[in-house]
Amino acid sequence: MKILVVEDNEHVAQFICKGLRENGHAVDRTATGRDGLFMATTGVYDAIVLDRMLPEGVDGLAIVATLRKTGSNTPILILSALAQLDERIRGLRAGGDDYLTKPFAFDELAARLEALVRRSQNIPAEAVLEVGDLRLDMAQHKVSRSGRPIDLQPREFKLLEYLMRNAGRVVTRTMLLENVWEYHCDRQTNAIDVHISKLRRKIDDSSLPPLIHTVRGVGYRLGGGD
Amino acid sequence: MIRFLHSTSVRIALIYALIFSLSASVLVGFVWWRTVGYLEQETDAVILADVQAIADRLHDFGVPGAIETIDNRIAAPSDEYAIYFLGDSALARIAGNLTAWPAALGHETGWHQVELERNGQLHATRMLYARLSNGFHLLVGRDIQDRMAIRLLVLKGLGWGSAAASLLAILGGLLVRRAFMTRLEAINRTASAIVRGDLARRVPVRDSTDEFDQLARTINGMLQQIEILVDGVRNASNAVAHDLRTPLTELRGRLERILIARPSAEAALCEIEDAVASLDRLIDVFNALLRLAEIDSGTRISGFGAVDLARVANEVADFHGAVAEEKAVAFTSSVKAGIVVHGDPFLLTQAIGNLVDNAIKFSPPGGKVTLAVEQVDDRRASVTVSDQGPGIPDEEKSRATERFYRGKTGEGAGGAGLGLSITAAVARLHSGSLILTDGNPGLTATIVLPLATHPPAARSDRFA
Repeated sequence: MKILVVEDNEHVAQFICKGLRENGHAVDRTATGRDGLFMATTGVYDAIVLDRMLPEGVDGLAIVATLRKTGSNTPILILSALAQLDERIRGLRAGGDDYLTKPFAFDELAARLEALVRRSQNIPAEAVLEVGDLRLDMAQHKVSRSGRPIDLQPREFKLLEYLMRNAGRVVTRTMLLENVWEYHCDRQTNAIDVHISKLRRKIDDSSLPPLIHTVRGVGYRLGGGD
Repeated sequence: MIRFLHSTSVRIALIYALIFSLSASVLVGFVWWRTVGYLEQETDAVILADVQAIADRLHDFGVPGAIETIDNRIAAPSDEYAIYFLGDSALARIAGNLTAWPAALGHETGWHQVELERNGQLHATRMLYARLSNGFHLLVGRDIQDRMAIRLLVLKGLGWGSAAASLLAILGGLLVRRAFMTRLEAINRTASAIVRGDLARRVPVRDSTDEFDQLARTINGMLQQIEILVDGVRNASNAVAHDLRTPLTELRGRLERILIARPSAEAALCEIEDAVASLDRLIDVFNALLRLAEIDSGTRISGFGAVDLARVANEVADFHGAVAEEKAVAFTSSVKAGIVVHGDPFLLTQAIGNLVDNAIKFSPPGGKVTLAVEQVDDRRASVTVSDQGPGIPDEEKSRATERFYRGKTGEGAGGAGLGLSITAAVARLHSGSLILTDGNPGLTATIVLPLATHPPAARSDRFA
C-alpha cells in the first residue's frame, strides 16, 4: 500500500513512517497542510494519515473537507490529541473515515489503516463470507464449520462477521468495541476477551485447527496472516 | 463634580429630588389656583357685572337712574369694600363714594390695581375703568387690602411649605442614595475580596425578597458554582499529582533497571511489555480525567438528545453479561421498555457500564448481580445495579464518588478509582443523582434521571 502521512511532529512522524515501512508499505511524509493537500490530490495514495492540528494555520479538518469537495475518496485516518467526544464526531463528519486519539499504539494505527483500505476497496457486501472451512451466511443468518452448523447469539454473529470481513488482518480490541457494540468505553476492559473466548469455544473445537488467533498485546486475527 | 454626576446613585438621588419637587410644585400651584386665584376671579366677575349694570341703567334711565343705582349699592351694608365713581366728560364727580377722580389711576380704560387712601390709610384696590356713552367715565372697584393680606399669608405658607418639601426631597434623595450605596458597596466589597483571592466570600443577604436580595442570591449562587469548579480543578490537580506520580515513578524505575542491569533480550522484552501495559493504564487514567473534566464543564449538554434507556441498558447488559458468566456470577437484568431521557447516550452507557463492571468485579463467585431500569414516577426514571459484594461502609459512601478515592474494600481491585466519579458526574450532568445504599449484603447503586419532557417521534439514533 502507498500511504501519505501528514504530521508536523518529527518524532511521531518517524515512529509512524518507520512502522508502516516495516509492515511493507510505501510511505510519503510531509509536515505541512499545504503540501499535504497538494500531495493528496495527486490521488496515488491508498490511504492518508492526517494530523488534526497542523502548523501554518491549516487545520486538518479543512484539508479533509477540501479533499472531499474535490471528489477524492481516499480513506483518511485523523490523528488528534483532542480526545473530546465532539471532536471525534466533527472529524468524522468533515469526511474523515476514522479517528484515533494520541497517544495510540502503533498496532492500533496499522490495524485501522488496513481495515480502512480494505473497506474502501470493498466490493459489494458478499452475502456469504468464507474463511477456510468456516462459512457465514448473511441472508440466512447461519454459520457452519466443515459443514457442521454452529449456533451463535446475535452479538456473536456480528462479532464473527466483523472478524471474517477483516480475515487475515489484526483487529484491535477498540476496533471490535466500536464496530460490534454500540458501546464506547474509556477504560481497559477484559470483556472483549471474554466475548472472544466464548466465540472461540464455539468455532474452534479441539479437533480442528484454530481459526481465531490472539495477537499478543494488540488484539485478534481470524485465519492466517497475509 | 462631573464625576460625581456620573455616579448612578447620585443621578438616582437627583432624579428622586427633582420628581419630589415637581410634584410639590404641582400641589402648591393647585392650592394657589383654588384659593387666592379663585378669590381674584370672583372679585373681577362682580366688578364687571356692576359696570355692566350701571352702564345699562345710564342707557335706559339716564343719569338719575345711574346715580340711584350707585347710591343704593353704596348704602347696602354688605358692600363696604365697594368703590364707585361716576364722572362727567371733564371727570367731575356725579355720584359715588370717592370725592375726586383718583390721580394714581391715569387715563387708560380697563383693569387697574392702585393704592387709594381709605379711612385715613392706603388700601390696595382693584378697579375697572370704563368710558360710557355721552362722555361719562365710570370707575367700579373693590378694596382688596384684606385679600392682599390673605394672599401674603398663603404665599408665605406655600413658600415655607415648598422649602420644607425641597429639603425633604434632598434628604430623601440622599437616603435613597445611601440605601443604594450600602447594598452596592456590600456587593462591591465581596467582589473585591474575591478578586484578592478570598473565594469563600459571599454577598450578605437580608431576609427580604427585594431586587437587591435577588441579585445577591444569584451572585452567591454563581460564586458557589465557581468555587465548586475551582475546588474541583484544585482537587483534581492534587489527585493527578499523587496518583500519576506513583505509577510514573514505578515505570521509570523499571525502565532504568533494564538500562542498569542489561538483562537478556528475552527478559528485557518482558519488562518492556509490562512497562507498556503500565503506560496504557496511565493513559486510561488520563483519559478518564479528561472525560471527567469534559463532563464537568457541561459542554456535552449542547449535544443532548432523546435516549432510550432500555437500549443503553441492554447494550451494557450484553457487553458485561459475558464477563459475569466467566466469573460464575449470576447476572440478570430487568429493563422496562420505552423510558426516554434527555441526554448523551455515550456518557449514559459509560455511567451504567461502570456500575455493572464494578458490581461484577466485586461479586464473589456464585454471587448475584442485577440491573434494573424502572420508571420511578411520572417525572423520573431509575437505573439500579445491585451486587452481593463487600459493599461500601456508610462512612465511606459520601467519599466514594471522589476522584481517586479507594475505600478499604476497593483496595487491590485495580482501576484508578475514577469509575464512580464519572458515573456521579454523568448523573449530575443529566440533572440526576447517584445514590449508594446497602444491599445487605452488597452495594446497591441507583442512578435517578429526569424523564425527557417531550417523547421523541422516533427511536434515537444518536448512538454514534
